[in-house]
Amino acid sequence: MSKRNRKKASILAMTLMVPLLATACSGNGNGNGNGSGSAAENQSSGGGSGKATEILFWSPFSGSDGPFMKKIVDQYNSSQDAYKVKFVIQPNGEYYKQLDVALSTGKERPDLMIMHVDSVPTYQSKDQLQPVDDLASQAGINAADFAEAPIKYATIDSKLYTIPLDIHPAVMYYNKDLFEQAGISAPPTNRAEFDAAVEKLTNKDKGVYGYVVPTLWPQQFIFPSLVWQNGGELWNGSDVAYNSPEAVEMVQWLRDMVEKGISPGNVQQDGENTLFLQGKNAIQFNGPWMKSQFDEAGLNYGVAVMPQIGKAKKAVYAGSHGFVVPKAVTDADKLAAIGDFLKFVSGDSLAWAESGQAVASNKVLESPEFKALEFQSTVAGSFADVQFAPNVLNWGTIVEPLWGELSNAILGKKPAQQAMDDAVAKSRQAMK
Amino acid sequence: MKWTSRLTSFLFVLPYLACFGLFLLFPILYGVVISLQDFELLSSEHAFVGLSNYISILTPGTYENSLFFRGLWTTAQFVLYSVPLLIFVALALAMLLNALPARVRGLFRTFYFLPYALSASVMAVIWLMMLDTNAGFINSLLARLGFAGIPWLTDTPWAWVSLIGATIWWTIGFNMIIFINALNEVPEEQYEAASIDGAGAWSKFVSVTLPTIRPVMLFVMITSTIASFNIYAQPFLLTRGGPGDTTRVLLINVLDQAFARKDVGSASAMAILMALLIMAVSVVQFKLTNRKEKA
Repeated sequence: MSKRNRKKASILAMTLMVPLLATACSGNGNGNGNGSGSAAENQSSGGGSGKATEILFWSPFSGSDGPFMKKIVDQYNSSQDAYKVKFVIQPNGEYYKQLDVALSTGKERPDLMIMHVDSVPTYQSKDQLQPVDDLASQAGINAADFAEAPIKYATIDSKLYTIPLDIHPAVMYYNKDLFEQAGISAPPTNRAEFDAAVEKLTNKDKGVYGYVVPTLWPQQFIFPSLVWQNGGELWNGSDVAYNSPEAVEMVQWLRDMVEKGISPGNVQQDGENTLFLQGKNAIQFNGPWMKSQFDEAGLNYGVAVMPQIGKAKKAVYAGSHGFVVPKAVTDADKLAAIGDFLKFVSGDSLAWAESGQAVASNKVLESPEFKALEFQSTVAGSFADVQFAPNVLNWGTIVEPLWGELSNAILGKKPAQQAMDDAVAKSRQAMK
Repeated sequence: MKWTSRLTSFLFVLPYLACFGLFLLFPILYGVVISLQDFELLSSEHAFVGLSNYISILTPGTYENSLFFRGLWTTAQFVLYSVPLLIFVALALAMLLNALPARVRGLFRTFYFLPYALSASVMAVIWLMMLDTNAGFINSLLARLGFAGIPWLTDTPWAWVSLIGATIWWTIGFNMIIFINALNEVPEEQYEAASIDGAGAWSKFVSVTLPTIRPVMLFVMITSTIASFNIYAQPFLLTRGGPGDTTRVLLINVLDQAFARKDVGSASAMAILMALLIMAVSVVQFKLTNRKEKA
């Protein structure tokens, strides 16, 4: 059969087959219920006793971050004999699909898993997670020992559902060479400084732009930050609100960058990053995960917290990884093992910081070792201002039309107000 | 036929039959079952809801309705633009290759077929680099020649041109190989006879080549149509459905419905409606072409 036919069959049947996998594949009991060959399992080096309580720990760290978490798990396993953590990495793009299947069928279900904090309310509302308060207090973990934002977000009906691991806010990357050539000594921190800097940085003759405005990803991190900074909201408590004057003003600000020639027009997916890597884009806002790419490229870049462009307050959109426990885990030994492991991680997450992430544990944040990590401690500098996606069921599909309409506005296909009105109209259709 | 011989033939078919049943028939039937349920990915109870998933897709004004029909319209545009090109470019390439000296034929056949072996993500990385508005190869080339850059992926109709160009580059090898084989099946004597009758190249093509390869043409047309209906990776990776949502094809929406919204029941209903539509189109194509053959 031809490749295209097979592709057709596989793509077409994908939606049909996933539920099938849910029942068929997880029933085969071969110890790898996800059906994907790429799950990596950690074989503990020091598990001799055989009596150790084993917990299955799932994570989506299939990128360069995986080995760092594996190192933490290995250290934990060799540090004691009572418990053993079995570490599984699922492919990042497939993570929640695999998780949904494992949770809904209950077979090969993890005992502990990583979850993005903005997914916690959804899974909690579907009755999939258990509060971690008791487990934490028995293990001696204190909610006050972590950055406040994820704790607050994942506290539902005064019960805590996650132990935070890290927070990854949008940050500002800038090209140090271009800054020097333009005679700018410090990265901009507010709108006036930013507008002045990008104008100085733009050099038409050399094809250098001050700030290349992305039209697609990572606007998901940039645009919410701008709206919040300007005193607007994406969600006002009962309705989508991105056609408010505060939000529209920020759309217009982005479009003006293009009109003024500070950004080229028609920037495609990753176009701003390509220009940044070529030294033709002086500034970009992106996540901490870009660090390794810039390091590998040998770029002379700096990092700073995202400047306050809006006129109301400091704010920056962030994601956050945390540990959550499925509701179905009831075995007391396992819960004790989970608590013990999490206690270990929150005391020892410096190894995680080495992956480039700014960790959420105050103890680590305040340690001299962490403060010595220039990049990570800069990222942690905006922890007080981070905000997560609105806590609304199906937010991902509700907000989806915004990204297309925002790109329409930045590309100059629609006036800012009209694009946002259209986005709101489409989003309302998805709310029900 | 003796029963032992029947049994032997059955045994030969059995492995295929088992795989067909397990990996194609069963999932499809199971998909039909799911499409009749309120199948929320995270809940363990899936109530039977009859045709209500289908009804909400077909009722104007619902979210599912706009998701399905907006996506379907985009996919239909892609099918309309791409299928004729996938057929005629492949045929032209096949004829071109057949006209080459035998020594280099194999080499070029390999070249044209090579992209077919690439995965979608590799294809996307290559084309993102080629097409980048401000830093891409093609626009730098245009700039050298004194032309303005073209917004390949951020403006229509260029986004369509790029998606179809990338699709042709990526998949044309398969159709080309089929056509090469078909062209080799055309009896040489017929060309000779036509030459003696004074036929030129064009009338030889129309009166000898085309009628002989018509069954293959039908096959290529139907498989290309099916493949084009299932367009997903190219817009998902190259344009992300943009600009705006002009290239947001149906399968992107179906997968969103299944995994972002976790409504697998409704997503399965969409997939089944889509499959029925593809079948209907294939039957029409088959009927139309077959009628020509009888005439």
